Amino acid sequence: MDLVGTAAQPTYVNTPYFLFKFLVIGSAGTGKSCLLHQFIENKFKQDSNHTIGVEFGSRVVNVGGKTVKLQIWDTAGQERFRSVTRSYYRGAAGALLVYDITSRETYNALTNWLTDARTLASPNIVIILCGNKKDLDADREVTFLEASRFAQENELMFLETSALTGENVEEGFLKCARTILNKIDSGELDPERMGSGIQYGDASLRQLRQPRGTTTQNKQQCNC
Amino acid sequence: MMERAMEQLNVQLNRLTRSLRRARTVELPEDNETAVYTLMPMVMADQHRSVSELLLNSKFDVNYAFGRVKRSLLHIAGCGVKKCMGKLLEYNADVNICNNEGLTAIHWLAVNGRTELLHDLVQHVSNVDVEDAMGQTALHVACQNGHKTTVLCLLDSGADINRPNVSGATPLYFACSHGQRDTAQILLSRGAKYLADKNGITPLDLCVQGGYGETCEILIQHHNRLFQTLIQMTQNDEIKENMLRQVLEHVSQQSDSHYQRILISLAEVATTNGHKLLSLSSSYEAQMKSLLRIVRIFCHVFRLGPSSPNNGNDMGYNGNKTPRSQVFKPLELLWHSLDEWLVLISTELDRNRKNPSASASSSEIASLLLKQREVDHSGSTPKLPSLLDPQIVMETEVCTDREDVISMTANRLSAVIQAFYMCCSCQMPQGMTSPRFIEFVCKHDNVLKCFVTRNPKIIFNHFHFLLECPELMSRFMHIIKGQPFKDRCEWFYEHLLAGQPDSDMVHRPVNENDILLIHRDSIFRSSCEMVSKSTNEKLKQGIAVRFHGEEGMGQGVVREWFDILSSEIINPDYALFTQSADGTTFQPNSNSSVNPDHLNYFQFAGQILGLALYHRQLVNIYFTRSFYKHILGIPVNYQDVSSIDPEYAKNLQWILDNDISDLGLELTFSVETDVFGAMEEVPLKPGGTSILITQDNKAEYVQLVTELRMTRAIQPQINAFLQGFHTFIPASLIQLFDEYELELLLSGMPEIDVQDWCRNTEYTSGYDPQEPVIQWFWEVVESLTQEERVLLLQFVTGSSRVPHGGFAYLMGGSGLQKFTVAAVPYTSNLLPTSSTCINMLKLPEYPSQEVLRDRLLVALHCGSYGYTMA
Repeated sequence: MDLVGTAAQPTYVNTPYFLFKFLVIGSAGTGKSCLLHQFIENKFKQDSNHTIGVEFGSRVVNVGGKTVKLQIWDTAGQERFRSVTRSYYRGAAGALLVYDITSRETYNALTNWLTDARTLASPNIVIILCGNKKDLDADREVTFLEASRFAQENELMFLETSALTGENVEEGFLKCARTILNKIDSGELDPERMGSGIQYGDASLRQLRQPRGTTTQNKQQCNC
Repeated sequence: MMERAMEQLNVQLNRLTRSLRRARTVELPEDNETAVYTLMPMVMADQHRSVSELLLNSKFDVNYAFGRVKRSLLHIAGCGVKKCMGKLLEYNADVNICNNEGLTAIHWLAVNGRTELLHDLVQHVSNVDVEDAMGQTALHVACQNGHKTTVLCLLDSGADINRPNVSGATPLYFACSHGQRDTAQILLSRGAKYLADKNGITPLDLCVQGGYGETCEILIQHHNRLFQTLIQMTQNDEIKENMLRQVLEHVSQQSDSHYQRILISLAEVATTNGHKLLSLSSSYEAQMKSLLRIVRIFCHVFRLGPSSPNNGNDMGYNGNKTPRSQVFKPLELLWHSLDEWLVLISTELDRNRKNPSASASSSEIASLLLKQREVDHSGSTPKLPSLLDPQIVMETEVCTDREDVISMTANRLSAVIQAFYMCCSCQMPQGMTSPRFIEFVCKHDNVLKCFVTRNPKIIFNHFHFLLECPELMSRFMHIIKGQPFKDRCEWFYEHLLAGQPDSDMVHRPVNENDILLIHRDSIFRSSCEMVSKSTNEKLKQGIAVRFHGEEGMGQGVVREWFDILSSEIINPDYALFTQSADGTTFQPNSNSSVNPDHLNYFQFAGQILGLALYHRQLVNIYFTRSFYKHILGIPVNYQDVSSIDPEYAKNLQWILDNDISDLGLELTFSVETDVFGAMEEVPLKPGGTSILITQDNKAEYVQLVTELRMTRAIQPQINAFLQGFHTFIPASLIQLFDEYELELLLSGMPEIDVQDWCRNTEYTSGYDPQEPVIQWFWEVVESLTQEERVLLLQFVTGSSRVPHGGFAYLMGGSGLQKFTVAAVPYTSNLLPTSSTCINMLKLPEYPSQEVLRDRLLVALHCGSYGYTMA
């Protein structure tokens, strides 16, 4: 953040209403990092290596008229990092559970990932299932129907995405954020509770449901 | 006609009498410029009647602007003369008139906080928001200067509370820029908006930059959301840490809830930051600094404790209130991740160890990955680089290499460990290591050792805590000792001088009282006296020495002082130190108690040695190996006896190596010592004189005899010496070195290497290495005896010693200063001179080598001691 900005025209960004902690989980090679990269940079990451440990990204989005900052933790899929990535689950509000539609193996592992997420993160965590690599339809090993049934049984939202073309990537993240916001509005989720994975991006919003009077302009205090 | 004439006369007469009565003219001069200078002093003195009278009778333009800044009389009145101002206004002085900077009388009053006058004045103005050249109104300047009533008065008169100046700064902005808590409070309670200037700088930014805690607190009171902004500022490395800390300190002291809230928020920010640091794609440098800064501030605020007195230093629970340690809770997430990471690395290490053909397995993984990649991208995008592209193959290998995971994460994990240590220790009383941290280090022993072994810099960068807890240090000692001497020296001085900036400035102004005035003829006693009079803190900051009756000052004199004083310390007349068998090394004299004050002198000797080391000065003493070991806290063994008495050591060795059962040595557990000529028998253990040495107990005998010779006999002396030494050099730091290195640190290199000297010499004022005079000079130096070379060195640098590393590391007043030869025009019989501060030899341009040699030797033998201004 440039405090003593030299730019003549400073860019004012509305302070986010909320800050949601998101996770991206799933087996190795399913394209988690590429999904995150596509979401944040709007382009496909070509020279993607295996993630070591956990990576981080963030983006401010507008969901239903509310500004939300998504703080996204992209985890390594390799088994050897499992213990490390698990320590990041705590306090996550939402998760993208990713498998590769061209690899049945990654689909079969979903149950394990799901158990991890439900037990280690908050039980109220909102999870969206993403069947990635939609662009490789010719090599498909997991059908849409099969996966959507799995999603239904486990109370997950479901989308097929392509980090390569960008199809449904934005939708995946936004859908998850929208669901969390709805849960807050309905009182199902309490942002005040520790470990909910939700923070007010701005302390003045402790009086949450009061309409905001004047939108005060403030420099974005984001360092990510 | 007559009547009119009479009338005129009367007026004239009246004027005349008035003038005579007051002994001055009652009329103003005709031109404005002269008139205004007549009036100005009267206005300043508030002589309102006179002013009124003069104005009444003249054509003077009351709004006439004068002087360099083009002020009118009303501006002058703005300094605070009430009655005069009233009169000026009566005479139609224009309130809105500006000087050349655009300031009106209202601004003037606002700057000076003359509320009562302002009150009068604002009745006469249509617009209280008159702007000066910078667009500032009276409200701006009143806020900046913190005049409460003035601000209120202006606001009541309808001043625009949110008026921006040309750069977009509002009155609130002005109040905050100068930390005017009260005016900021007034503005905010009157509904001032919180607006940034045109560069996006907010009032909060200003408060933090200035460290204005109280003003920050007011801002937060009125704009709660600024609290988070303030917390987030800890991540901004452009903000001065001490200022931000000051602000957070203040806000946290307001109430228990503030305290809790700040700390919990800081802990949350630190946790996120730490997690980001552990993400390999983040910038290590930036995130590491950010994390450590936040944690430093966090620990500082935590240590201060909440404001309420009944909570005081209570580290634990306080009634029903939440425990203070609650604030560490958010950080537990980070510590948990840290733990998992270290466990992961430990398993990776184990796997590597079990599978020595790690390279094979990793290339296997690499090839698997390649296959996978092929599947991933086959036919999807033709623009992808070829899979045979060597770069991709290489990257894949790098990324799968286990070794690499460790080296990529080691620095990041170490920084988090440092943060963990800081958080653990701030919950402990000063100087105690948290059991939790010790447990942590023990648990991850192998991983930490692996980090340090791979990259010893980590110790220097992050594992400072090693120095604070000897029990942890010992685990890493062998790794530390394995580092190059130079690196350890750097680390040593870095930590030693931490918090003592620019201690070696050349011409730092020296307080006359802080100069150590030493008598050359009683150097030991007078030095002892002066040093004991000074404080340790002052001595650490820097030493200034002047010899009685001499003018010389500066680093050269300091060097000479250390040099001479150290030779004096070992002077046998004081009986403090004794020579070892070879005659060149010294250790404390076991019989030093002949001097009743000996322990104080030992302490003094320790202080001088410590001080010399502290200021990188060399001393003229070489100690015995065993004494260096005592300084380092290393236990001595029988082999060290050889540095005191090689013959005796050989005999001890012989006893150990051979079977002594049948030799009939008739040794007992006792030794005879020479106490000033008389022999005394000292038992080595109770009843030792009657216990015979046998094959079975000879090892014990050797150990005891060694201890007696090197330790027990001189234990009080060693203790006193160390007490003095440790006042400047902490024991934890000196243990970075071994006994040989300590000798190098203290005494420099014993031999003078002329080639090295020649290589590291510079030339100025017309000399260069090819110059015949310079060639002659080095030929002469070559031909000098070792002793004369030492004299030459002493003549130019003030010290007879060469620092460790050779002449390249010669120190001057302000750091490294190479030996320099400067040209001086030759006149007959002129001797060489020197400036010891900058290691400079001023060598006249002698006509021949013979003259040079002759003059140089004269200078050396007469003038290597003593300073006068040449």
